[in-house]
Amino acid sequence: MEQFIYYLKVSFKGIKRAPLPYALTIFILSVGLGVFFANATFYYQLNSDPLPHKSDKLFFPMALMAPYECNDCKPPSVLSYSNIEKLSQTDIASKAAAMYSADGYLRQSAEQAPLPVSIRITQRDFFSMFDVPILHGSIWPDNSARAEVILTKASAEKLFGRADVVGEKLLLDDRHVTVSAVLDSWQMLPRLYDANNRNHLGDADDIYLPLESGYDMNYLSNSQSQTFDDTDYRQLSTQGRSGAMHQLQYWVQLDTPAQQQAYRQFMHNLVQDEKAAGRHPSEPNNQLVAMRDIVHYFGGESSDIKAFALVTLLFLLVCLFNASHLSLNRYLSNQYEFSLRRALGASRAQLQLQMLADVLLMALFTILGALLTGYAGIKLMNQLLPSNRLFSSWDMPLLLSLLAIAFACSYLVTLYPSLRASFGSLNQQLKE
Amino acid sequence: MSFYLLCKVLFSRKVVTSLLLLQLAMTLALLLNSVLLAQQTRQQLNQPTGLDLQNILLVQLKPTTATLRVYPALEELLNRQLSAVQAIPGVIAAAYSNQSAILQGGNNGNVYVVEQQERTNVSTVPMYFVSTDFFNVLDSQVLQGELPQYSVSLDAPGAPDVVITQSLAEKLFADVLAAGKHLNRGRVAAVISDFYGQRSGDHVMYNSVQIAPPYSVDWGYSILLRTTPAQTNAVRQQLATVLQNVESNIEIFHIRSLAEQHQRLYRNEYGLAMLLTILSALMLLVTMVSSYSSSHFHAIKRQQEIGIKRALGASKGLILLELLSENWLCTALGAMLGVVLALWLNQALAQVISIPALNWYLPMVTTAVLLLCVTVATWYPAAIATRVSPATATKAL
Amino acid sequence: MITLTNLSKIFRTELIETHALREVNLQVNEGEFAALTGPSGSGKSTLLNILGTLESFDSGDYLLDGKSVKGLSDAALSKLRNEKIGFIFQSFNLIKDFSIYDNIELPLRYRGLKASARKQRIEQALELVGLHARRDYLPGQLSGGQQQRVAIARAIAGQPRILLADEPTGNLDSLMARQVMELLEQINQQGCTILMVTHDPDQARRAGRNIQIIDGQLHDATMYDPLAAQSA
Repeated sequence: MEQFIYYLKVSFKGIKRAPLPYALTIFILSVGLGVFFANATFYYQLNSDPLPHKSDKLFFPMALMAPYECNDCKPPSVLSYSNIEKLSQTDIASKAAAMYSADGYLRQSAEQAPLPVSIRITQRDFFSMFDVPILHGSIWPDNSARAEVILTKASAEKLFGRADVVGEKLLLDDRHVTVSAVLDSWQMLPRLYDANNRNHLGDADDIYLPLESGYDMNYLSNSQSQTFDDTDYRQLSTQGRSGAMHQLQYWVQLDTPAQQQAYRQFMHNLVQDEKAAGRHPSEPNNQLVAMRDIVHYFGGESSDIKAFALVTLLFLLVCLFNASHLSLNRYLSNQYEFSLRRALGASRAQLQLQMLADVLLMALFTILGALLTGYAGIKLMNQLLPSNRLFSSWDMPLLLSLLAIAFACSYLVTLYPSLRASFGSLNQQLKE
Repeated sequence: MSFYLLCKVLFSRKVVTSLLLLQLAMTLALLLNSVLLAQQTRQQLNQPTGLDLQNILLVQLKPTTATLRVYPALEELLNRQLSAVQAIPGVIAAAYSNQSAILQGGNNGNVYVVEQQERTNVSTVPMYFVSTDFFNVLDSQVLQGELPQYSVSLDAPGAPDVVITQSLAEKLFADVLAAGKHLNRGRVAAVISDFYGQRSGDHVMYNSVQIAPPYSVDWGYSILLRTTPAQTNAVRQQLATVLQNVESNIEIFHIRSLAEQHQRLYRNEYGLAMLLTILSALMLLVTMVSSYSSSHFHAIKRQQEIGIKRALGASKGLILLELLSENWLCTALGAMLGVVLALWLNQALAQVISIPALNWYLPMVTTAVLLLCVTVATWYPAAIATRVSPATATKAL
Repeated sequence: MITLTNLSKIFRTELIETHALREVNLQVNEGEFAALTGPSGSGKSTLLNILGTLESFDSGDYLLDGKSVKGLSDAALSKLRNEKIGFIFQSFNLIKDFSIYDNIELPLRYRGLKASARKQRIEQALELVGLHARRDYLPGQLSGGQQQRVAIARAIAGQPRILLADEPTGNLDSLMARQVMELLEQINQQGCTILMVTHDPDQARRAGRNIQIIDGQLHDATMYDPLAAQSA
């Protein structure tokens, strides 16, 4: 230990002898790593799997069951109510939930100012499928219509100032509803169940309403709805249920490959029957997309982050080259001293230990600088690319791997120069 | 000065030179592609919209009670809001619309000439349901036919007449006169000058407009108004209060000029171009630091050599030129490598984002910038190096 | 050829002033071979540096070929050095990563000679010092004596009028030293004026003229003679 402190002391002396090149090396490494960190944060968070144990078991089925003729096209990315009815006729799936989101206004009484809320209109299985934690109350027992809403903890606190509000009455767009449950704080990032139109990057919805009630109350999707016939979308409870009015996302849980195969077969048969009945003219094109592939399927990958990832990686490389160049210069300037030490009997291993002390010191400064630059970079990226702002947080594994990278970079930057300095010809260096 | 000797000096320091070359090449490659992207964004932001962006204001709003969202209460609300807004001094014209212009996506559908669906179908054309002054607000020019004068309910038998933009008319009818022809949405009453509709549509200038109250306002609606240039700000400040006074049960999502709306639409592109520009600036800085430090270091290492050269009759200017030439040569070599790397990066980026291909003059411009930066960074250490006393340097053992 | 009049050089630091040369008067004529001797720190090297325009002086005047070098710009001084003066240093001062040929070529390049003219002169110089076969070697591959001969070749390739040698044999053994001295004498016989700083009394004796410096003042030297200067 005492010996190591001595090495650290020597390192400090080396820095003091030529502070500018050292500061420049640290600066360049910090900038390169910081920029890399900032982008890596977004890249990591955006591509993270929020349900790693399930993301290969949850599927989004889509089929070309719509009254239009189209060759070689993908099925609509949202489904109609009648599509869902038909797809739900099987019990192959362990769980299934249709859903969409809409905007509404919530208040306790008509006199109060309304609170704009985003409503997820869905079915009972939604909560167990996506591991949503319940704080108070219980989830709807079935999928039938009921004037009951489930609040998030945040919206309960916003409305009532407390979380335990099960049984309280509310006005949702002037209709009376009761609170049946309150969810615990929960954020699924990215929200893969809502990958249509890149909505998976946004916040979770504020309240939850049964699907049947949503149709009865004539809520239209706030993100995507398509009509392939002359359905009047103001008549959602009647025409909306029967016509080709597409606005629903549908998720099924298929735990085993056998289940998945059975479901595919079921879809195939269903579409064949529908076609035979003359309900849709197009050639069948069934899709059963796993949750982990859904963003890719909908083309919602954050291309700007990807592009920037490529660029920041190059930048990091440039900075590494640069820093090693700088530190090579620094070591070569000190080469005489190195050789002198070796002449005085220091072994190469001892010199390497000295190098390790240098690396540690440099890693420390670099990590500090890189974290600062990275933080500033994230703030800047939140300003410039606000759609990704939810994905800017650092968690433990990320932070640790970033630290490891910083240390590895500091090591790399000192490795070649130190080898060169300690393995050069002793004789020649002393003579120089 | 000899090119041969310069190369010799450069390549005698293999590791250092190759590091420097790689770094210069990468910097140039990044610089080039950032400039390309920034250029593209600028072009997108500067493309014509057919609209007076500065002087058209957009209010996006929605009634907060369900009763106000159904007819006839809704129509009455829309008319009350319009007359209140029109009364604000400085407002030239005001109109409501189911959606604004300059959007990513919105309310749209397919359009075709009746009985020619196969041949003429255009799949995504925005549909606007507006009040009569809409064309006044946009300051549209009527190119064919006449604008409809009255609002017709969408629920009335027969569809209201359609007004389409010039580009859409050309797409649907080519050289034939469009006015009077029938589309799946109704009879074409007039063709107006182009304006920017929806970015995700088939073409940003394809639009179809009908004078009718919107079907529903579940997604909110827009009030658009054109103001005199001098009073745009004053109008903007009053808008929220005026609308709240008309009806307090509304939520105003935002009030923007169309110029702001346009910028928001390209916010991501702008953000990415901006990030790349900042990164390029950082790269240049890093390159300057490295040029500075490497020439500083080598000048010290070569004090004796410089001293000898001075004794042999090289003037300070010549030594400076020699040191700078070394860097210029290195930069030029790096730049050549950089152009190759830039081509590769350009193709790699084109896989994930839309980026224009490399042209011939940008590499020259960016190389010049790089040379300038390297020169600035090398000048000081090189100038210091020329001050070496030849008498001292040649004595050194 | 060289005329120094009351030339002084003072080194100043914050604490002390050192008079390296005091009111030196010296006349060196064309074709002379003069040895400059004196104890360490007497100002020999300073005088040589001033003669070579590598260092400036504080007062007095230095006429080279009848023209004062005082107040000349750096570019003019460099040109003067390049065309009229050749240097030979004790530590050879060859550029390590240049070949023998490249080292000799350097001053010729600074003079702006064409490649063919340079080649001819380098060949001549190499011939004279007897290292023609080693033209593509690096300095490190040669012995000390050979390196000094390269340095001499470099100095004379430009066909200078004056050769300034600072202890040219100081780093060499006696055999090598003799070879170098013989070379210098040969060059002198071809008409080149040589001023040589040396410690070695034998070498000093071999020179045609012996100038001794003690404490920055010249002794036993052929004093400045206005009549001789006029006739030169």
